[in-house]
Amino acid sequence: MNASWISAGPLLVASIGLPLLLALALSLRRLRAFAHAAAPWSALPGLALTAAPEASVDLPWLLLGMRLELDAISRPFLLFTALLWLIAGHYARFYLARRPLRRFTAFFLATLSGNMGVILAQDVASFYLFFSLLTFAAYGLIVHEGGEEARHAGRIYLILMVIGEVLLSIAFMLAVEAADALKLDALASAIGASGDRSVIVALLLSGFGIKAGALSVHMWLPLAHPVAPTPASAVLSGVIIKAGVLGWLRFLPLGSATLPQWGNWCMAAGLGAAFYGAGVGLAQRNPKTVLAYSSISQMGSITVLVGLGLAAPSAWPLVLDAILIYAAHHALAKGALFLGVGVCQRAGEHRYRVFAGLLLPALALAGAPFTSGALAKHALKEMTLFAPSPWPETLAVALPLSAAATALLLARFLFLCWRQPPGVGDRALRALEFCWGLGLLSVALVTGLMFPDASASMMSRYLHPAGLWADLWPLMSGSFVAGLFWHRAVRSKRRAFLAIPPGDLLAPLEWLALRLWTGSKALSETALTHWWRSLAYWSRFGRAHAGRLAEGAVRWEFFMQRVSVASILFLLLLCLFVLAV
Amino acid sequence: MTQDAWLPLLVVLSSLLTGIFIFFLGEQRRRTRSALNLAGAIGKLVLIAVMLWGVLHEHHYETRLPLLPGYDFVLRADALAMLFVSLSAGLWLFTTIYAIGYLEGSPHRSRFFGFFSLCVTATVGLALAGDLVTFVLFYEMLTLSTYPLIVHRGTGEAMHAGGVYLKYTLTGGALLLLGVVWLNHVAGSVEFAQGGILAPARQADRAVLLGIFALLIGGLGVKAALVPLHGWLPVAMVAPAPVSALLHAVAVVKAGAFGIVRTVYDVFGVELAARLGVLDPLAWLAGATIVYGSLRALAQDDLKRRLAYSTVSQVSYVMLGAGIFGPVATIGGVAHLVHQGLMKITLFFCAGNVAETLGIHRISQMDGVGRRLPWTMAAFTLTAFGMMGVPPLAGFISKWYLGLGALRAGQYWVLGVLAASSLLNAAYFLPIVYRVWFLPPKGSWQTGKTHRYFETYPTLLLPALATGLLALAAGLFASAPFSPLEWAKLIADREYR
Repeated sequence: MNASWISAGPLLVASIGLPLLLALALSLRRLRAFAHAAAPWSALPGLALTAAPEASVDLPWLLLGMRLELDAISRPFLLFTALLWLIAGHYARFYLARRPLRRFTAFFLATLSGNMGVILAQDVASFYLFFSLLTFAAYGLIVHEGGEEARHAGRIYLILMVIGEVLLSIAFMLAVEAADALKLDALASAIGASGDRSVIVALLLSGFGIKAGALSVHMWLPLAHPVAPTPASAVLSGVIIKAGVLGWLRFLPLGSATLPQWGNWCMAAGLGAAFYGAGVGLAQRNPKTVLAYSSISQMGSITVLVGLGLAAPSAWPLVLDAILIYAAHHALAKGALFLGVGVCQRAGEHRYRVFAGLLLPALALAGAPFTSGALAKHALKEMTLFAPSPWPETLAVALPLSAAATALLLARFLFLCWRQPPGVGDRALRALEFCWGLGLLSVALVTGLMFPDASASMMSRYLHPAGLWADLWPLMSGSFVAGLFWHRAVRSKRRAFLAIPPGDLLAPLEWLALRLWTGSKALSETALTHWWRSLAYWSRFGRAHAGRLAEGAVRWEFFMQRVSVASILFLLLLCLFVLAV
Repeated sequence: MTQDAWLPLLVVLSSLLTGIFIFFLGEQRRRTRSALNLAGAIGKLVLIAVMLWGVLHEHHYETRLPLLPGYDFVLRADALAMLFVSLSAGLWLFTTIYAIGYLEGSPHRSRFFGFFSLCVTATVGLALAGDLVTFVLFYEMLTLSTYPLIVHRGTGEAMHAGGVYLKYTLTGGALLLLGVVWLNHVAGSVEFAQGGILAPARQADRAVLLGIFALLIGGLGVKAALVPLHGWLPVAMVAPAPVSALLHAVAVVKAGAFGIVRTVYDVFGVELAARLGVLDPLAWLAGATIVYGSLRALAQDDLKRRLAYSTVSQVSYVMLGAGIFGPVATIGGVAHLVHQGLMKITLFFCAGNVAETLGIHRISQMDGVGRRLPWTMAAFTLTAFGMMGVPPLAGFISKWYLGLGALRAGQYWVLGVLAASSLLNAAYFLPIVYRVWFLPPKGSWQTGKTHRYFETYPTLLLPALATGLLALAAGLFASAPFSPLEWAKLIADREYR
């Protein structure tokens, strides 16, 4: 145990444990006031930890042997995650000042603890522990406001997440069996060499993809983000979905195995999501739903990068950097946008000021020059050169187009914010604006400061007009198209010509599920009843058991309670045993 | 005889004598009865703690008394026995406290607590039994001492349940006895041995060995509620909550599961069983039971009934662990013996609290109960997540080792069973959790047992909280010494040595 453990180790434990302790303290009457006061600050240990030169803790008696460590992946993740949680925590305090706060705060703290833990965990059991904590605690944030919409969103979220957890648990078991170790660094390379590689990779991509809002399992995002209280939407969309990306980075055999097929799939799905999210988002009417679709679109870009890593392992260290830049940029910008919506709703006569503030993260997300978005988009563009053919050519065309689509989508968002009823300025506005201002400041500065080399190269690129133009034209074309529509929309005051319900694919899926359910019930009531009747007739004495299948099952239980039946069955079982052997 | 020879007997006597004393106590001697009960339970725990330490250091505890010509009454403390004994004794203490609060003011308490002690005596006895004859003795004693507990309320439904229970278990017991007699004839001995009683008789006719195995598993499978022999369990849930809790967590169901584990490891020996090819069918049966029980649980609206079907499903994890060849699966199955006990007893305590405090028995009436009984429901929620296999609860550890063990044995289908079980558990526990915490209360509740400071009687609340925390601790501190997992590893080590 070296000297750095003494300083950083407790900080490491505190960044996970403090929020959890405060959440528990909320249930004790004496500590409640203190816990409420301390709650907004509970991400502070995590933020402080990022300054530590190195930190690791081994707790061999916990779970299957817990190891927490600050490594090259967790440090940047921790920085933007803790920062956004810190801002959102203070924001929440003023945003929810007049509502029942205790349950929300408890879930908020538990989710925070899970998020910190996911980032710092270095063994599979603790990773799974914190991932589950994050998943289930976030449910409380989504349904906090109550009402049918929140309940529906919560139900869809929970169903998808439980399926995701089960897929992941199988993937983890297969991976551990392949590696014969529990530490994450050993797992990824062992997965690459395992005979069950395709199964594990498929399970990991889909299991974490559910959390990350990957295309085809993204339905929970546009439902959950708008119904959650604004500070919760900010962390959901900013950092919680990043836990899925983190999972990919931790477990997929990136950089150690070449998986061109899976890489192609990922890149195709990512690119699809980038456009699909933007397209469906344009047809939305709630600004927060538009932002949720923008998240799907942006996570698509990250998925493209992950696919690149799978297809071209030699470029992995560079691709990893690009993913980290993209994740940090999107977390902070999306967080600031969500927080801005909340401020906008209460702005009253200060709307112009708030609107000017919203422009910064919107421009950043659209990749305007000198913003973190330009940094991220450029990192992505550079990486496409490593992709196998025909991806470099495809992406060279598709990426600027997706940037233009993003610009258009954000223009739609700004328009919807503008159209919202202005609300009355209230006392909390100042405080909210202050918290949001901190968020804007971090959008402007933090990503650039986190990756100084990338920002230096961006600046040098802008010395040439061509470099500046390359970043400007997608934004300008997107804004131009938006301008055309804006003009028409403001004048005509008509609703958008096309509206897709939030959750897009979910509507037909739910319809299908309902039809299948009623269909199967009808089937069981007709065909199966006939079958059951004939069976009963055949066995003569069982005629009394004919009836609906559900009733049949109940009677079956009574039937089974008869000892004569049990003994016959036992003899049958005996025969089966003999036959099976 | 040294003290080593007396300890196992003392452990059994500590509850037997308590029970006998209690029968002769007057109905109104509440304090004396409670004091006796608690003294017995705590005394037993102390004795067990001493023995745990000894067994860890390869100390040999054995009581041997002549029973019949050629047969001894043998109590022996090996690692597997100690695991089950600690579980029974620990949960006996909590259930006794719970039952004192639960039955306050109701009639026939001396009878109840007397049989309650006998029931635990039988459980501890069959755990410590060193040979099959002693085992059968206690196994039958368990059947008989549980019957009065199930019919305790004396209602028509209770009497019916008791009848069903007796028919099932007595038939099972007869089959078991038949198997033991046959085994004795073939092997010439009935004394458990590492590597199996049948190890010397491994050349015996295959069909004979199969027949013995089927008889033993069939007889034990009745108590362990293996489908299709599970019919009595959901009926027996009409018993008072502390009885259901003990029945589902340690006494009856677990006795069957424990017996099957013994049969596989110490009667046949896991290698002989694997060579005979009986492990796979056992695992299939367990897998089918897991899925079937969960599916049936899904359709129940009565809370205790849902929990009962959940037991059918969860106890089969133990048999699944025994049915997969290899130490890792053994660890998972054996550890689940304890894990399931801790989780299920908490769930039944909580169901009892809801019924006693608010008069609610059905899940559809449970809207908003979390506001009135926050601590009870916190324990319920915690253990429900444990049942789903969410870390860091005990259920996660069992599933993890079972899954890894299955992979190591190349039995990929087990992962499917585990996944289906997790999904189904989520499907029947999460709606309850949601109802309790997120829906507003519907109408007003009956006022049952209330207390000035606590949400219900402290004797009802504290045992639930304690076992809930133990279920959490068993998972969270799984790698700490003396955790159920570490003890299961010790058992597997000694079995596959």
